[in-house]
Amino acid sequence: MKSFIDYIEDTFQGEKDDGTLYRYKRLVLERMTARANEVTHAGLQDEQVLNDLIISEFPRLKENYQKFYAEERAKKYEKFLNKFMIFGSVAVVLLLVIVYLAISFLTDAWDATWVIIVDGILTWVVFIFSVFIRRVSGMRRIFHPIARVLLALSVMCGTTVVFLIALAVFHLPNSWLIYPFGVTMIYVADAIYATVTKQKLRIINYLVYIPAAMPMLYVFLGALDIIPWHPGWLLMPLAVLIDLVIVFAKMISNKKYKYKYKPEVDAAWNEN
Amino acid sequence: MERKLNAELWDKMHYLFRDYNDRMVHVELHYDFELDVDVLKTVLICFFEKAPVLHSSFKDNHVSPYWIVKPYRIDDVLSVSYPADVESAVNDFLTQCISPDSDIQMKVAVFFHDGKTTLCIVENHMCMDGGDFKYFLKAFCKNYNDYAERGLSPIDLREGSRSYDQVYNDFSKTEQRMARNLYKNVSSKDNHKFPLTPDSIRDHSFIARRKISAEKLAQIKAAGKKHSATVNDMLLTAYFFSLYELANYNAYDSVTIACAIDLRRHLKDVSDEGLTNHTAWMQCNIPERGQNIFETLKYVVYSSNQFKQDKFMGLYGLPLLKLGYNILPHAASEEIIKIGYSNPLLAMSNIGILENDKLALCGHEPTDGFMTGAVKYKPFVLLSATTLRNVVTLSMCVRGNDEDRKIVEQFFDLMEKNLDTLAQG
Repeated sequence: MKSFIDYIEDTFQGEKDDGTLYRYKRLVLERMTARANEVTHAGLQDEQVLNDLIISEFPRLKENYQKFYAEERAKKYEKFLNKFMIFGSVAVVLLLVIVYLAISFLTDAWDATWVIIVDGILTWVVFIFSVFIRRVSGMRRIFHPIARVLLALSVMCGTTVVFLIALAVFHLPNSWLIYPFGVTMIYVADAIYATVTKQKLRIINYLVYIPAAMPMLYVFLGALDIIPWHPGWLLMPLAVLIDLVIVFAKMISNKKYKYKYKPEVDAAWNEN
Repeated sequence: MERKLNAELWDKMHYLFRDYNDRMVHVELHYDFELDVDVLKTVLICFFEKAPVLHSSFKDNHVSPYWIVKPYRIDDVLSVSYPADVESAVNDFLTQCISPDSDIQMKVAVFFHDGKTTLCIVENHMCMDGGDFKYFLKAFCKNYNDYAERGLSPIDLREGSRSYDQVYNDFSKTEQRMARNLYKNVSSKDNHKFPLTPDSIRDHSFIARRKISAEKLAQIKAAGKKHSATVNDMLLTAYFFSLYELANYNAYDSVTIACAIDLRRHLKDVSDEGLTNHTAWMQCNIPERGQNIFETLKYVVYSSNQFKQDKFMGLYGLPLLKLGYNILPHAASEEIIKIGYSNPLLAMSNIGILENDKLALCGHEPTDGFMTGAVKYKPFVLLSATTLRNVVTLSMCVRGNDEDRKIVEQFFDLMEKNLDTLAQG
């Protein structure tokens, strides 16, 4: 036990302690002692060997402390974030009501100011979703579909925020067009997520999303007179063409990773 | 808190082999002095702690299996005795089977007799293959000596990942992608069998062995050089030719023998890897027996050279197995893999040289010994070969009866005869 303490103290000699180091030292000592008890139970009697063995199981203490410190900070931040989300939700609602009433009384624009409350809450929901997306993305891949659903919901909430402002505040005639654009953005956001998190078979996402998003984009651009309806419809065959280009590019790229068997080796395998 | 270890791909594969063999790897070493049991215990405990898979229980979880590290006492691992009949005690010890759900996966026995020691070790193949077991023995002897002679703590054993994909580590990025795309089922499809008797519940495990003297080995090596053949090729040729004779195969039949290959050949440095399995099969095929044994040798040399030219030798099929285990729960993937995998009926494992200087304990080199693979269940057979002090030990572990033992002994007689012919060629 004494040698474990000496080992830990010697390693961290001169290191500044804000309380985290003490907790780490205590944790390491407890683990070392527990391991020593296990090995002693197995029948090891030589104390020097026991000490050397256990110490060898805890190498790079300083390096591991850096990780522990970072993890502790991350935990603290997560705790803070949890509190912020709980109390922040109440505070946000209160703040929104105050702002809504204040602006409404000042401007007397009651028909438009309700957007403050709805959009404020939706924006807060997007923030909460983004926190959960980050957390779920840090988990095993099997949970990633949850993050992708939350991402789609976030984009939809964001789209609604923009739609309500366009409709209630600016009274834009084609406000509904924000929704097909929002659907396109869902596909884009999910494709970006798949790329950033290096999802396997993400190419299938791209191949499905491009033709699926194109009609929405066509309606959006067509209705805004950015492109004419005819020959704007060519966006749809263009989507299929883009898919084909992606498929061929991938095939060419994969070809260089195809191992060319020596013919005689291949023949030998096939004989069996 | 319960400590869990990941069940690696080869752990699962060897678990799947439970239908074909008892999964044990055996070693027997003879020393002409009495080794120190207390030192031995200390070294073993340290090694068990360094390689926790050795004191773990395999949990056959239907979704994803794993190892649970278990507490143990060294007396459960090591047995020490002074038997009246050493040979029988050794055989009884070596033919035992350690269950994967047992708390320990390696057992050691020390038999003292007439001031000498016979050291026997049996371990679960799921933990490590012959390649790493050889390393384990060398490290064991080195640590034993350092501790006994210099008081150094015996903690110098490799630690690290046990994952199958370590074999790709020394490839370039492009080569890695190539190797990881080798989706090919390389199972043997040859139906030629070793002529053993039908299965019976009276069958018991036995290890048959035959020694090839140092003089004979030197002759075999010299003759092999003339034919550009390695010792492995010569042994394999004798194996083929003896089988044709023993089992009366048609001389024009094509026969395949699976040869174990160490995938560590693809690694430059294994010092940061844990004890694990890195062994695959190479299907050595001859189109016919040939007019004489030298023609058989030509076929064998040609076949093995084909494989040696292949950059990714032994790596075919690994991605397919990985995919099989990844896409489905373990219980389902086992069934799927069983459909696609065909265990070789005839196999050979040349474990190689057991370096006597590195297996010396306190200056005493082993006087004799060998290592051998698992006890195969009929109709599967595996011929193992190890070389110690230039003496080759051929061994075959079979679950069979006295009749089977006679057949195996007859096979060894033929092997000896055919190796003699080759040595004179």
